[in-house]
Amino acid sequence: MAEDTQEPLAGAGALREALRALLPPTKEELALELGENVERSVVQLLQEAAELFCGGCRSECLQASEAILDYSWERLNTGPWRDVHKDWRRVYAFGCLLKAVCLCEEPGDTTAVAAALKVCDMGLLMGAAILGDILIKVAAILQAHLRSGKRPGPAQEPPSMKKARYDPVLVPDMTSERTVPRLHCPSLEHFRKYFLVPGRPVILEGVADQWPCMKRWSLEYIQEIAGCRTVPVEVGSRYTDEEWSQTLMTVNEFISRHIRSEPKDVGYLAQHQLFDQIPELRQDISIPDYCCLGDGAEEEITINAWFGPQGTVSPLHQDPQQNFLVQESEALYPHETHLLHNTSQVDVENPDLDKFPRFAEAPSLSCILSPGEILFIPLQYWHYVRALDLSFSVSFWWS
Amino acid sequence: MAEERRGSWFGFGFCGFGQAPGSGRGRQVLSPEPLQTPGSGADVRRVSASWSYTALVTRGGQVRLSGAAGGAAGGCSDAWASETLLVVLRAGPGRGAGPELQAWAPASAMRGEPLWARALGPEAEAEDAARGEPPAGALPLLPLLPGARAYVSPRPPFCRALAPELRARRLELGAEHALLLDEAGQARTAGPRESGGRAGAEAAGGAAGPPRGGGGRRRLALGVCERDWGYLYLGLERIRAAGPALQEPGRGYKDDSEGSGLNEDGSEVKRTARGEDGAPAPFIAIQPFPALLDLPLGADAVKASCGSRHTAVVTGTGELYTWGWGKYGQLGHKDTTSLDRPCRVEYFVDKQLQVRAVSCGPWNTYVYAVEKEGS
Repeated sequence: MAEDTQEPLAGAGALREALRALLPPTKEELALELGENVERSVVQLLQEAAELFCGGCRSECLQASEAILDYSWERLNTGPWRDVHKDWRRVYAFGCLLKAVCLCEEPGDTTAVAAALKVCDMGLLMGAAILGDILIKVAAILQAHLRSGKRPGPAQEPPSMKKARYDPVLVPDMTSERTVPRLHCPSLEHFRKYFLVPGRPVILEGVADQWPCMKRWSLEYIQEIAGCRTVPVEVGSRYTDEEWSQTLMTVNEFISRHIRSEPKDVGYLAQHQLFDQIPELRQDISIPDYCCLGDGAEEEITINAWFGPQGTVSPLHQDPQQNFLVQESEALYPHETHLLHNTSQVDVENPDLDKFPRFAEAPSLSCILSPGEILFIPLQYWHYVRALDLSFSVSFWWS
Repeated sequence: MAEERRGSWFGFGFCGFGQAPGSGRGRQVLSPEPLQTPGSGADVRRVSASWSYTALVTRGGQVRLSGAAGGAAGGCSDAWASETLLVVLRAGPGRGAGPELQAWAPASAMRGEPLWARALGPEAEAEDAARGEPPAGALPLLPLLPGARAYVSPRPPFCRALAPELRARRLELGAEHALLLDEAGQARTAGPRESGGRAGAEAAGGAAGPPRGGGGRRRLALGVCERDWGYLYLGLERIRAAGPALQEPGRGYKDDSEGSGLNEDGSEVKRTARGEDGAPAPFIAIQPFPALLDLPLGADAVKASCGSRHTAVVTGTGELYTWGWGKYGQLGHKDTTSLDRPCRVEYFVDKQLQVRAVSCGPWNTYVYAVEKEGS
């Protein structure tokens, strides 16, 4: 057992023990079943890395893991994402696992632990599940360790949900519009008969307002639970813009850069399965009962988080599944209408009527979604969403 | 013209499988080192490097492997290394028979039977001769086959025809694209459009071009440059913005995941992105059309070769410039920094060596250099 001459962080030894307990003890078990898409040389390298790990050769294992990560990274970046074979993502996740655990062998080094958590997140975001979802478990341990070790004091702002300044929202001509009807806790049958089957949108009240997230979630809470986790963020006012891009940053960075301060550009944590990555947050939400009216199993429901400041926009588009959009906080302005492909060319708030003359006649419904309310967006129903204020929403895609 | 002195080969970069120039596992070489080859080091006339092993072809016709694949075999005039396949050109059985193309599993060390073999017929070499003496050093190279009517691919079908009117001189295969240089000095590309590989180029039609889509060698960047035809062409690099798991632009499920950073006119869109460890990547740009290479001090490039994320270029005055990803020392600047502009590899200047050729593996670089005259 190595002597630890400095352990400023309590429980560093406990961290190593917890991680070791998670990982298979022998190199035969610390292995992946891979098909022929992965070359022999890579399989060799994986075996070597596992051997080095089990043999306690930390720095050599790190070197081998780096090569595994670099090579599989190139495979993940070749060709369209849908053509990337899952085995390459598993190889990548394996590299992340070994690298993360090796980084944590440094006793009491919080930077190393934070770096290891980042690596875990990369494995979760880009990789595929391995060894019984081991990366989730490793991430949970690392996260807990970081939380207990330090009190985060991120910004000097008073700890309250900072209200962004309320710019007057360009409200399109509302005369031709009707609003989405509202119902308070309709029965399953009523919802099914009058809205699900005919494909009509509706706002459900009194269903989500008792979920734990409604009381619990605040910027501070989110930062405490998930602050050091790496998430994908969209930068740019909307994804149809030229300047739009995606990047990765921690939740802390996202909040400080795009929510608390005067952001240089709009950042949107959009369409991300945050609750798969961070199970602690999953406990604060529930799946609306109405989802049982679908054919799919509960595990097949895709839950996405949508978190961003005032002004984030999802351009007009449609989804091939039913959608429940639950508003966790503040106001959202969904605006729905009909058009052609998955994403429309029309800018809903400033339509080019020379180019798209018929848009003026397109029937539409509008609404403002407030905390605790659920908007049902029927399958393939065109919708456009703008956040009127700092907003956290959760969507459920079900069939 | 002065008689060409025999030079020797140097290597640097990743050698984690023990391939030349390294000799141990998990290592990289940050500055050029002479290749240790049994017998005369000046014997090697071509180097073809894959990720986990390197193939050396000697003037005596031997192919020697080092790294994850080992072994040697004689009677070979050319070799082409990829992770799944080692392709060699061997003298055919008996006199007058043309060369034979053989594909081996790298791990077989060329013992036993090849995975497949195909006689090319004597007319292949006769065609090369009929087209005239190629400029010095520019022998027809794999993956282009002698006769330039076909080329080799690491995925089935292994032998693919090229349209005869293409009159190919050089062919390079990337992970998704192919780049072809014909005798008129025209460069043609084939492959998926969204990564900028086809911009401004004519498509090699039908059976003439490599197929679309994933597959091919593990290279993100490729390049070929032939000054003799007065044409300079820089390989195209594509680094996917911010990693693949970030969904393509849009909402919900997308039918075509062809989101890209290119506008309709092919102009460049800059994106921020992260490297594989989440740190900001040093440089991300999609260059969708050929750009003139800008070397310091007005040097001009005569030869180029690309690894998966780095490029090396030889100038007319015998210098070597490298840039791109440097994590494994593949740039040869004694460190592991990545560079976004060409920098001269000082080793060859310091040693009074004239660089004559360069060949890059995915994460390493091999250089052929001769001693300067009158030094």
